[in-house]
Amino acid sequence: MNIRLGNWFNERLGWRGVWDAIFLRKVPKVNWLFTLGSATMFVAALQGITGILLTIYYVPTPDQAYESVQYITTQLPMGWFIRGLHHWGASAMVVLSVLHMLRVIYYGAYKFPREVTWFSGVVLLIIVIGFGFTGYLLPWDQKAYWATTVGTRIAGVAPGIGDFILKVMRGGEELSAITLVRFFGVHVWVLPLTLIVLIGTHLYLVIRNGISAVPHKGD
Amino acid sequence: MDEQQPGEGQESIPRRKFLEIATVTIGGLIGIGIAIPSISYVIGPSLKQTIAEEWIRLGSATKVEVGVPTLFKVKIERQIGWNVTEEELAVYIVTENGRDYIALSNICTHLGCRVRWITDSEQFYCPCHNAVFDKEGNVVSGPPPRPLNQYQVKLEDDQLYILVG
Repeated sequence: MNIRLGNWFNERLGWRGVWDAIFLRKVPKVNWLFTLGSATMFVAALQGITGILLTIYYVPTPDQAYESVQYITTQLPMGWFIRGLHHWGASAMVVLSVLHMLRVIYYGAYKFPREVTWFSGVVLLIIVIGFGFTGYLLPWDQKAYWATTVGTRIAGVAPGIGDFILKVMRGGEELSAITLVRFFGVHVWVLPLTLIVLIGTHLYLVIRNGISAVPHKGD
Repeated sequence: MDEQQPGEGQESIPRRKFLEIATVTIGGLIGIGIAIPSISYVIGPSLKQTIAEEWIRLGSATKVEVGVPTLFKVKIERQIGWNVTEEELAVYIVTENGRDYIALSNICTHLGCRVRWITDSEQFYCPCHNAVFDKEGNVVSGPPPRPLNQYQVKLEDDQLYILVG
């Protein structure tokens, strides 16, 4: 029955070809360091799931943000767990994507024909850092407030346009309700959508070009 | 590393099959480990009582005329999530003899609109779908599935109390 159903869909969707291309493609003999990209993507998916769950309760306004986060952490069943996963997952994202990048550098895997994969990876790393920066403000506690004060001030020291950038980031002179909502909007809409598009590109290129083998002396 | 070719080994489970099973098992466990907490997280506050059970004072029983449902309004506090909201509770008090009182909720049992006492027809009327209830809250006509809800009432020193929560 299962096989017949599978065949019925395969005749119409051709999904087996897609499945084989993704999971049954030929790879060179590699080591565990080659799992860092998959590990990053796994954590990214987890961040997506836990992030969606957090938005069910979180409110991005100055008078309710902190209370709603406290409510999630202390009152809701498993709220501490969902928020904890998202909190530690954020750090794991940065650590894993940097390790993944180091492996690519160390093995010289960014070379022809994989330059575009590398470029998209660089943008992905910047997006991950953007997630960290915008997400840090959302609990709206002292640490969040002052970290963003400092972070936006750092952007403000850029020569010439620094002051303009600072005001655009904050949505005004000071950190305010406007800052909080725009950070929230960027964190849950702009960055996730960009991330999905770029992960798609990145994966397509990995599958299209195949992965590079571990280089040996004299290669 | 096992040197055997996938799928053609003498061992009982070939390497490919083993990895397949391991991936599905571990992935499944992680999936369950996320899904179960997520479900309890999402439905968590839905099943929670938002007002504490207590007797609320409505006011003096002398305001209630025999045979005429009288509307009392009281404010109650509701703790919902991180918000404490004040909400108005409206209750019709009915007595036929000045000793026994019943307290009827003014919330229509059909879809939650508020019913009104119509003095001329001596009936409760709901404007949403033309439901009609009699003085005791029983359904006279219209779509409601059951009579109006009642609160427990008590009389202490001429003051009326209802039990909420």
